[in-house]
Amino acid sequence: MAIDRETKLDIAEFLYRESLALDERRFRDWLGYLADDIEYVMPVRVAREGQAEWELSPTSRIFDDNRDTLEVRIRRLETDFSWSEQPPSRTRHYITNVIVDPGEEDDEYLVSTNCFIYRSRGVEPDPSFYSLARKDTVRRTPDGWRLARRWAALDQSLVNAHNLSIFI
Amino acid sequence: MIDDSTLQQIREGIKHGKFPVRAFNDEEIYQLEQERLFSKAWCFLAHESEIPSPGDYVTRYISNNNIIVARDEHGVVHANLNMCRHRGNMMCKSEMGNASHFRCSYHGWTYKNSGELIGVPYMKEGYEGRLKRKDWGLVTVRIESYAGLIFGTLDPDAMSLDDYLGDFRFYLDLYLRHGEQGVEVYGAPDHWVADTNWKICAENFAGDGYHTPVAHQWGFTLGYYPSSGSTHSQGWAASIPGRGHGVGLGHSPNFPPFGGFPDELVADMRRTFTPAQVEVFEKVRTAVGTVFPNLSFLMQPLSLIPGEPGVRFVTMRLYHPVGPGRMEMYSWCLVPKGASQEYRDASYKAYTLAFGQAGTFEQDDFENWTKVTKSAKYTMAKDLEFPYIMGMESEPATDFAGPGHVVTPYVNDTNFRNMWERWGDYLLGEV
Repeated sequence: MAIDRETKLDIAEFLYRESLALDERRFRDWLGYLADDIEYVMPVRVAREGQAEWELSPTSRIFDDNRDTLEVRIRRLETDFSWSEQPPSRTRHYITNVIVDPGEEDDEYLVSTNCFIYRSRGVEPDPSFYSLARKDTVRRTPDGWRLARRWAALDQSLVNAHNLSIFI
Repeated sequence: MIDDSTLQQIREGIKHGKFPVRAFNDEEIYQLEQERLFSKAWCFLAHESEIPSPGDYVTRYISNNNIIVARDEHGVVHANLNMCRHRGNMMCKSEMGNASHFRCSYHGWTYKNSGELIGVPYMKEGYEGRLKRKDWGLVTVRIESYAGLIFGTLDPDAMSLDDYLGDFRFYLDLYLRHGEQGVEVYGAPDHWVADTNWKICAENFAGDGYHTPVAHQWGFTLGYYPSSGSTHSQGWAASIPGRGHGVGLGHSPNFPPFGGFPDELVADMRRTFTPAQVEVFEKVRTAVGTVFPNLSFLMQPLSLIPGEPGVRFVTMRLYHPVGPGRMEMYSWCLVPKGASQEYRDASYKAYTLAFGQAGTFEQDDFENWTKVTKSAKYTMAKDLEFPYIMGMESEPATDFAGPGHVVTPYVNDTNFRNMWERWGDYLLGEV
């Protein structure tokens, strides 16, 4: 099934706006972009031989969240005690290589993107960089586009950051 | 240069409740730890369930040595230095996998996964009979295990692992013997680097109940804890004198016995644990302990939604130092082999929300620990000490069924004094 150009552009813009909400730390707005049944998953990557059956752990997850737990993370950021984000990370999500394919349901699309995140904090001169492959499921609803699934895998196996207190 | 008399002063100081700030980020102390501690102590390598089948291996470190931990075709576990004996190339460049043999990518020497050298190219033409394969196997690391934990030591004269762990095995069972089948890893560990000194983490997990209401205050604010800030100090601190290990056991009033475990697992645990272990463990809400020097465990109930009944999870973590102020963190979730998949999955989900590098509790810990590490290098802090005087006068608890030196409340420095005294023993070469 061919996907028309307008749909592809709409979906790309949706993902840009979704990441803008994160970069501007409008986390309640960001929740509004998520479907009620959102799955938010980041598998653990393991450095293995090229012929190995898997490099992304079939069981281990860095994020394994649903809407309720994402909301817990946001409520945490809204307290005065989320020390890992005091001062807050300044993030910039760069979303590229947007490829849209039909999803399992008529109103859903599988969206593969590259995601590069720049993260700076406080007066530390050295930023953190994260390079990720994302495979999202985006759903068309009467209220607009919603993210039904985010699957994101870091390219690093030994991850170069003391924590991941940001959203991907 | 840090000489032995300075080290003796440090060790004497900790008995009186003082420990130097610089110990937490100092090049000389780091070098001494590499030579005298991590090259002598029993260091954690892997859990047996990470390499369940013949040929399975993981690569880990003792000090700066990369070690292959592999299960051979007979099911026996071996640990060998990941270095070809011919010219020193790394044999195995993956973190885990399955292989019956390792073949060096430089000149092609080939070893069984047990470490035995079996293949040398141009054996006849090149070596003309002068090379004996049995003399050039991979360098073996001495290993021993306890309840699935495989430890290695570079010291051929080190005491046995059982002796090294001593009475701490009583408390380790709380994490490792969940029913007759014990526990296994849920999957590969989270693995990340942090600008943190390993000792800060090891100390925190040796029973720092003191930090919880503040470092993790958001959790109390959202209603996460079965204890409140006012009751949080209740519980025990147990340390093993002369061994360095310690565990904090947090208790909440009206906490249900073995709360957060499924009923069938509790029945199984009541059969597996000794009566003394049941008496101690059923009261425990949070158990946070460190096997000296750098392996820790935490068990506690956590709900995905604040205020709902929590699900128990167990995390095991290893702090691998790679510099005076830098470490690699490994964090596993352990789940009972005999429990339902439903419970195991729920337990893992609770773990990921709280721990691992995106974990809501872990995030704040590492934020604090990287800042402590940074301060410890301040020139103005060079001659400063930290107070370790909580519980200096405490009499050991008399109505407690567990071994070791046990004091109340849970908020206590006793475990840490014991730990850093042992650290002093190693740095002085008196072990």
